[in-house]
Amino acid sequence: MQTQQEHAFEFTGKGWEYFRIWIVNLLLSILTLGIYSAWAKVRRLQYFYRNTQLAGASFEYHGTPIAILKGRLIAFALLAAYTVAGQMNPLLGILIFVLLAAVMPWLIVRSLRFKLFNSSYRGLRFGFAGSDGAAYAVFLLFPILTVLTLYLLAPFTHYKIKQYQHNNSRFGDTFFRFDATAGNFYGIYLKAFGLLLLAGVFFGISAALHMPILMVILPLIYLYIVGFLAVRLPNLIWSKTGLGEHDLYCRMEVGKYLMIALTNLLGIVFTLGLYIPFAQIRMAQYKFSCMGVLAQGDLAEFVAGQVQSDSATGEETAEMFDLDISL
Amino acid sequence: MVAAQYFDGRTTAAHAVTLTLDGEWLQMRGDVLAHEWPLRDVKVSERLGDTPRRITLPDGGHCEVTDHAALEVLLKQGGYRSGWLDGMQHSMRWALLSALLIVLLFAAAYRYLLPWGAEVVARSIPANMLQKMGASSLQTLDKLMLEPSKLAPERQQALRDAYARLSPLPDAQLAYRIEFRSAPQIGPNAFALPDGNIVMLDELVALTQDDDEIIAVLAHERGHVEQRHALRMVLQSSAVGLAMTWYMGDVSSLLATVPAMLVQASYSRDMEREADEYAARTLQLNAKSPCLLPDILHKLEAAHAKRQAEARKDSGGSVMDYLASHPATQERSALLCPAH
Repeated sequence: MQTQQEHAFEFTGKGWEYFRIWIVNLLLSILTLGIYSAWAKVRRLQYFYRNTQLAGASFEYHGTPIAILKGRLIAFALLAAYTVAGQMNPLLGILIFVLLAAVMPWLIVRSLRFKLFNSSYRGLRFGFAGSDGAAYAVFLLFPILTVLTLYLLAPFTHYKIKQYQHNNSRFGDTFFRFDATAGNFYGIYLKAFGLLLLAGVFFGISAALHMPILMVILPLIYLYIVGFLAVRLPNLIWSKTGLGEHDLYCRMEVGKYLMIALTNLLGIVFTLGLYIPFAQIRMAQYKFSCMGVLAQGDLAEFVAGQVQSDSATGEETAEMFDLDISL
Repeated sequence: MVAAQYFDGRTTAAHAVTLTLDGEWLQMRGDVLAHEWPLRDVKVSERLGDTPRRITLPDGGHCEVTDHAALEVLLKQGGYRSGWLDGMQHSMRWALLSALLIVLLFAAAYRYLLPWGAEVVARSIPANMLQKMGASSLQTLDKLMLEPSKLAPERQQALRDAYARLSPLPDAQLAYRIEFRSAPQIGPNAFALPDGNIVMLDELVALTQDDDEIIAVLAHERGHVEQRHALRMVLQSSAVGLAMTWYMGDVSSLLATVPAMLVQASYSRDMEREADEYAARTLQLNAKSPCLLPDILHKLEAAHAKRQAEARKDSGGSVMDYLASHPATQERSALLCPAH
């Protein structure tokens, strides 16, 4: 077996540099009552993609502001229709909600296609080939079953969603593969649940002993659980993802992640938001420094696939309804 | 001459090349490559910090350039003009100016857009909604800080009758009732609920022997209700609260604060002036002196000053007392009753 060569991602974005771009675009977005935000979004993604380096070359984002704007207008119309209908007649509101739920998987597929098709590396585009039928299973059927089984099925649903996303993504002509098992997901969620039980035990002890000082530990445990899930799930998902004969890896650490997330939060609160661009850069720097490719031989052996076009409608609608579950 | 990496768009292999400009033609040379294209068929990405710039070529391939200075020279030679945004996005001066403008825009929105929006919304809230809000607010207040009135029923009825005899201004929209309550920890006060009910505290009734002065206060409170002042204040502070919680990320805490805000909402000076005016017009219509309101206002001020002095004695003084005093009373009484 050939030895694997490790190529780490490198993120070269700089806080002050991004701040200048961010603030000018924010001002223009406010002055145009949000219309310009589509252009700002393209610029933000371009800045982050181009600053992400792998093996001496960077990524590129190709989405167009007009496509994103169109998607946003449709999303806004849907949201407005839902709100107004719910106000006028609860029954009509429910009807529109059901309709939205029915089109959501279809929209998510469009959004994934748009996002991947508009990403490229070394001149080759990414792509998404997932079918609508399978999307209805993972984005509608399994979530409904999850609720019906009181969330016992949640890790399995998360597994199916990631499996669907990653197995159907491709770079050029080469498909990604997803080797994780449902058991891997249950392992992480069970550990998080165990920590939650531990918090419950602490609560019980401190109540029984009348020692409220022990309660201080509770928020710390909750915080740790949040960090645990935010780190261990991407670690699992990306480390079990491969591209052709190559493997990916992701090795974030909970302590470091929490430290960055918390200091970011403090920075944002105390600067009334002006720290946001710096926070985004810091987090991207950390995440990408922990990720990379374990290449089998030379990276330069991919052949470009076909070119296809799509509209951004899907992505924007899914994003506004906060249903974009991708990592 | 610009060093670049060329990708053909079919494989991921990178080719080291150099770009040069020959008149209107962009020439690309590598170890085994040699191409040239008219410069106008080539798309150059805008500058975005220090990120590699991308030159999209007509053959489906592209070049990545990291030598920004050399590329600028070549582009200038070719007559390439960068967009107006390019300079703005990369200058510290524009960044600071933008930050300043954003702060000013938010301040202007808070000062002008918010009160205007709150007034539009407050006026469009239907009467049955106002009734619900008033009833639930009174319920919460009764639970939290109000006690049943100790006023004799005959005295209550006498005041109610006097108030009922007061003819309202022709554009009045709501039906008015008085709710008598007691609240020793609040002190002499009266406040209007959104549905037109006015809570009158025993402490205020005890302040004066002249029922007409109480009627003047009621007329003033009616002015607050007719102009939807309480509602506007609640809407404004909930809009700010909503923006803050959206920013920080928690909405549930917001709903719990509405009844408290109804009481604590101190009206703006403009609102007080509007209510004073309304009261003066009502008193005039009923052939009563507009000086009644300043009379009771002075008594109120004196009573509150006394309470504060006592509180100061207990706590050793505090900054809050200073903030809570009403220096505007003189000004208000001069407006209402110049002869006073």
